Amino acid sequence: MSRRKRDDGYEHGYRKRRRVVSEQAEIEDRLESLIIRVGDKTSSSLESNLEGLASVLEADMNTYKSKILRILSECPIQMPEKCTIYSTLVGLLNAKNYNFGGEFVEQMVRNLKEALREGQWESARLIVRFISDMVNCHIVSASSLLQLYDSFIDAAMEQGVPQVRRDWYMYALLTALPWVGRELFEKKENDLERIMAAMEGYLRRRNTAHVAALRVWNCDTPHPQEEYLECIWAQVRKLRTDEWQERHIYRPYLAFDSILSEALQHNLPVILPPPHTASTQYPLPWVVFRMFDYTDCPEAGPLLPGTHSVERYLIEEHLHQIVTRHHNERKELATQLLAFPQRNKIPLEYMIVEVLFSELFNMPSPRYLEISYGCTLIELCKLQPSTMPQVLAQATELLYERIDTMNATCFDRFVSWFSYHLSNFQFRWSWDDWQNCLSLEKDHPKAKFVSEVFGKCLRLSYYKRVNEMVPECYSPLLPPKPEPYFKYQTEGGNGLPGATQVQALTELLRKKPTPEEVLELIQQLPNPLKDDDGDMEPSHNPLAIEVFVQTLLHLGSKSFTHTFAGLAKYHSVFKTICENEEAQICMLRQVYELWQNHPQFLGVVVDKMLKTQIVECCAVANWIFSRDMAPEFTRSYIWEILHLTIRKMNKHVVRLEKEVADARAKLRAAPSDSESSDDDPNREAGEKRRRTVSNKDTPKDGEEQPTEEMVERMEERLEAAQSDQKNLFLIVFQRFIMILSEHVVRCDTDGKDFNTFWYQWTVGRLQQVFMAHHEQVEKYSQTLETLLFTHDLDSNILDTFRQFQALRS
Amino acid sequence: MAVASTYRDQHFKGSRVEQERLLGQSCTLYVGNLSFYTTEEQIHELFGKCGDIKRIIMGLDKFTRTPCGFCFVEFYLRNDAENAIRFVNGTRLDDRIVRTDWDAGFIEGRQYGRGKTGGQG
Repeated sequence: MSRRKRDDGYEHGYRKRRRVVSEQAEIEDRLESLIIRVGDKTSSSLESNLEGLASVLEADMNTYKSKILRILSECPIQMPEKCTIYSTLVGLLNAKNYNFGGEFVEQMVRNLKEALREGQWESARLIVRFISDMVNCHIVSASSLLQLYDSFIDAAMEQGVPQVRRDWYMYALLTALPWVGRELFEKKENDLERIMAAMEGYLRRRNTAHVAALRVWNCDTPHPQEEYLECIWAQVRKLRTDEWQERHIYRPYLAFDSILSEALQHNLPVILPPPHTASTQYPLPWVVFRMFDYTDCPEAGPLLPGTHSVERYLIEEHLHQIVTRHHNERKELATQLLAFPQRNKIPLEYMIVEVLFSELFNMPSPRYLEISYGCTLIELCKLQPSTMPQVLAQATELLYERIDTMNATCFDRFVSWFSYHLSNFQFRWSWDDWQNCLSLEKDHPKAKFVSEVFGKCLRLSYYKRVNEMVPECYSPLLPPKPEPYFKYQTEGGNGLPGATQVQALTELLRKKPTPEEVLELIQQLPNPLKDDDGDMEPSHNPLAIEVFVQTLLHLGSKSFTHTFAGLAKYHSVFKTICENEEAQICMLRQVYELWQNHPQFLGVVVDKMLKTQIVECCAVANWIFSRDMAPEFTRSYIWEILHLTIRKMNKHVVRLEKEVADARAKLRAAPSDSESSDDDPNREAGEKRRRTVSNKDTPKDGEEQPTEEMVERMEERLEAAQSDQKNLFLIVFQRFIMILSEHVVRCDTDGKDFNTFWYQWTVGRLQQVFMAHHEQVEKYSQTLETLLFTHDLDSNILDTFRQFQALRS
Repeated sequence: MAVASTYRDQHFKGSRVEQERLLGQSCTLYVGNLSFYTTEEQIHELFGKCGDIKRIIMGLDKFTRTPCGFCFVEFYLRNDAENAIRFVNGTRLDDRIVRTDWDAGFIEGRQYGRGKTGGQG
């Protein structure tokens, strides 16, 4: 391609500069790649790789220092399993170039301060660990590290701040000690002891009321369900008894001891933890999930590290980190889990299964979608077909064995997971092994588990399939055929009240009438609530509702789509005859009557009615707790419906909150009439906010500027929604309290033990509301304490509330 | 990354650029390799594990108007659809391995099989 050659020097210089710049970018990319990949599988040894890389980086230090600093400070946090590799690398660099070491330390300190300020707790914790490891490499002095530790201990001793904050500072220290404990023991034994004594004191005084809410099982056999901080404390104490000899972490710096010990160390500046503010969010506590011990693993195989060994902690942490990195790519995740570096030294499949279940059963909620764990387990079975399925089956058996004490929330997740898993393996299972559940009462957790699993399997398959997949003896626990129950078509059905109108309406609906025509027919029905005096206008006509709802839904019963079409077309009829809560509860009763044998359909219809505002959240809540629904109270689908209702309300409020926040920001950012300065900081901030909050998931807002009036109207809508939300929670909790108290009183009167299965399920369901929606419930904690969860309440009920409060205290 | 396959609808009304744009912001998935007996309920149960479903449109044989092995699942949020591609694609529904792919958006008429005999291909 010929081009007229320009002969001005500018063009030539520009091209040359561009070439240099792009070369520079290339080198930077190469450096970045070298740094990121150090320690990965190569033909040469790690030591020679580190030496080589240290030389390369040192040579390029002048030109690329800031880039190198940035990458080196981020890598140990992004790839925490390579912490010791990076500390060694930096140690080698520090030995060659003291100034660089100093700048690197400053960078890490800056990163730590920022992470603490921004509430990036996990990053901060990993930075503390890395800084501790830097002592091992003679980059940082032990005495200045101890100063950092002391300031953290001070933070843990601070009065008047939430325990979750103080816990974090302890946790950061405890999880750094496996790396640097030995070094401190050798050089600063007294200081180390002092710190251990301070931590012991802290742990003794701590409040552990939250544990009960976070445990998967409510008992400690066969494995204690330990609170996370107590567990790591036990593990560190055991490490201490071993004179801090830790054998799991790979420490490349040991090979470079002679070089590194010649290096000059740097002192950390004083790092003061940022003060607590009301808006600071701290990580929630958790309970360590244990389902296996060494006796569960094959005798001939490698030993499962003990519960209080630091090794157990380190391996589990690493496995969780692999999940974090690959949770969106299940095939890669399964591959990486199975490629665990020390897989030959541990019963890997058992530890993987335990870690994945610990995430699935995490309280209050799993980190990631439940289904992601399910399909990862399937991938693992595919990759290790000779071992994984057996371990998983063993795990399932264990979980079933111990299901008597499993909390209701985890019970649901276990049901959901197991039925999903079965649906991927032709529903094959050794059902014969579980026949003991048939002799138990229906509300016994084992029997309930099996019947709920059947119900879920039905949803993922079909009636005949479910019947075929189990031995005949299981038929008492099998779900009924999922069909609508249209009482007017049963024997004697045409004698029921309203039967003639049902017939008439059915015929009318087949002619595709307008809503008005339908309403006309319905409104002709007599109202059984009207008394002869005719003074009081009843709030609704139950007969009209019954006839309309059951007929319409029956006609649409072929599929969700058919039903939805009916709901949409005759929406206005619903709105007219179901104006108030009483009417809506009546309507829900009709929907239930029709779909009582098909809980999935029932849930979907209620969901749609909420969505199209045919029914209000409070009506659904009151319907669930009504006397009519008492026989169904321990069925899981009831709680599915309650939770989808609460979630809808929560989503609505959150959406309005965001809209108001966005509108206010836009309003603040708007240039006023008199001035329009380009460097108005508010405007810039407003624009930035607008950019960062825009989200492809919200409808594109028009470019029009909201007025003060509009924003005020939005705020009114938000207030109304928040009031509705508070009301919903009040209703739910109040009904729980009533129903539980009634039960206790009745049992007292009858001289019976109140602690029946029903009682346990119901308390579990109450706990579930707290846990599943804890962020939103938190807003009304004060109101709940004042109005509902008062001192005079039965202690079991009150405890549930106290445990919830303890989550964030 | 929940990336679209290389399939592109030949009957798409619009330019290739437009099609790519719609695929990039879609909340709708095409789901293939269903059994002819797979129901809306089953699809709802499985895909519902990824988020709230806006609607399901069953693919129908053009002549018999019976299900013919595919459907569209539309979520309210794109992120939920992405999760369906991550976690449902390649797993079983009704004993068959289902395939999910981004769809540019349901338009009336696209629920009918375009094969010669009325089904899919």
